[in-house]
Amino acid sequence: MTAELPPGLALQKVDERIMTLNVGPQHPGSGHMRIVVQIDGDYIVACDPDPGYVHRGEEKMAEYRNYITNIPHLERPVIHDSCNVLYPYVLGVEELLGIEVPERAKYVRVIASELNRCIYIMYWLAIYGIFLGHSTMFMWPAGDRELLIDLMEKMTGARVTHAHFVPGGVRNDLPPNFEDVCLRQVNYFEKRIKEYAAVFYDNPILISRTRDTGILSRQDAIRLGTTGSVLRASGVDYDLRKKEPYDVYDELDIHTNVMKEGDSYARSRIPWLDMIESCKIIKQALQKMPKSGSVRVKLKPNPKGKNETVYKRVESGRGSLGCYVVSDSKPEPYRVKLSVPSFRNLIALPYLLKGEKLGNMPSVYWSLNYWPVEADR
Amino acid sequence: MGTATGIIRALNSGIKHIATKRFTLRYPEEKLKFVGDGYQFDPSTGVGIAGLKGRHMLFHDHCTGCQLCSIACEGVAEAIAMVKVPDEQTQNKKSIMPQIDYGKCVFCGLCVDACPFYALYMTNDYELSSFSKEGLIYTPAQLQVKPYVAQDSEIIISDRGATHG
Repeated sequence: MTAELPPGLALQKVDERIMTLNVGPQHPGSGHMRIVVQIDGDYIVACDPDPGYVHRGEEKMAEYRNYITNIPHLERPVIHDSCNVLYPYVLGVEELLGIEVPERAKYVRVIASELNRCIYIMYWLAIYGIFLGHSTMFMWPAGDRELLIDLMEKMTGARVTHAHFVPGGVRNDLPPNFEDVCLRQVNYFEKRIKEYAAVFYDNPILISRTRDTGILSRQDAIRLGTTGSVLRASGVDYDLRKKEPYDVYDELDIHTNVMKEGDSYARSRIPWLDMIESCKIIKQALQKMPKSGSVRVKLKPNPKGKNETVYKRVESGRGSLGCYVVSDSKPEPYRVKLSVPSFRNLIALPYLLKGEKLGNMPSVYWSLNYWPVEADR
Repeated sequence: MGTATGIIRALNSGIKHIATKRFTLRYPEEKLKFVGDGYQFDPSTGVGIAGLKGRHMLFHDHCTGCQLCSIACEGVAEAIAMVKVPDEQTQNKKSIMPQIDYGKCVFCGLCVDACPFYALYMTNDYELSSFSKEGLIYTPAQLQVKPYVAQDSEIIISDRGATHG
């Protein structure tokens, strides 16, 4: 019996210097996934990320529900960024149903999605801080996140998983006096996150741990298909809000933050700079928003899509997030496919960890802005 | 910037925060203030009214037993079941009304959007925990009761930082 085994199943030669280590899926530093690391002493020789522990079948579920009842479950992959996860689906369905969204609803959506981006990044930053043993950086973002969660709660009625966006606009109008409250809390939030520089980003201990670890070159970042903060940290100026503006992003002044280093430090700094940028976008949107008007187009019950396919993508908290919807003139979509940034960024992990010390693994891994549930869908 | 200066700056930034106010909400003693009376929906305009999506409130004198809320929930959580009610209403020929299982409900509010008769709204009540699974099932009679929700603190921003006042 000398049948050729496929490469993945072939037995590996045992080397007495190399040890295989399973990090996860129960390890707190890995998220809901396993990272198989091969180490020689303290240095990582090879690494094989193994996602798939939290697969929920969101895409299959979407085939049995109509365009409206798909909303609550499609935002579950990233509950802290639920507006942005739902955004491409809603944009796609609007094109399939041929709906024009009111101007005010577009601004409300931009505000909601920018607030959600900040909420997501704050959660990510809190975990990044505790991964590196910096407990102040766990407490501060977790506390300051409350300012924005409070705004989302006033706006949508839920602290996470808002189910706020629908094809045709948003579910409800802003509460009275929201603009003033939002401006006050966002201004304070912006002041607070700028204080993180002294305690975290300019801290020599953080810099010595993350500078020059896990370097992703510009060419590799493009070749591996990374997106979002990982791509921008490697010196590629790419932001879908600017390159392919959706809704009213073309009317707003957006600055893209780019860093050239491509190391863990750059990847952890870019989301923080993005948050400061988001605050500016929210303030612009509040100023330019029409003061009154409808926020939702009335739909027929069980709307049927055209016999078409549509692909839409938006810039989420982690990078470009696409949604491909196939319709066959029925109330339910024929197929919904999510193209998620987390999965695309995870591909870079084996390249980044090769030759690193095992102690640097958490900082490199979490700097990829990875969300396990989103990658598994 | 040298290493020592950087560390001193970081420590100094932390020490400065001793003077700021505490932001933590002391939850069971203080409770958050919400806007409005909970999420509501106006079927004539097709737009909702902002508010917390909490426990539902059912108006027996409006409910016609049309089952639209139950149908809306089918694809989401299957939390709504239509049950017989003893009291007779003129508009409700079949005498059936929704019963909601909060062990399954995801508080998306799509049932409120589905109701065309102004019968089902959501309230600010979010403290629904129970010692048994049966305790989470709210019958139409329980849903009729308007809850009392304590609302005492809001985020207040001053020179000494934000706090739940």
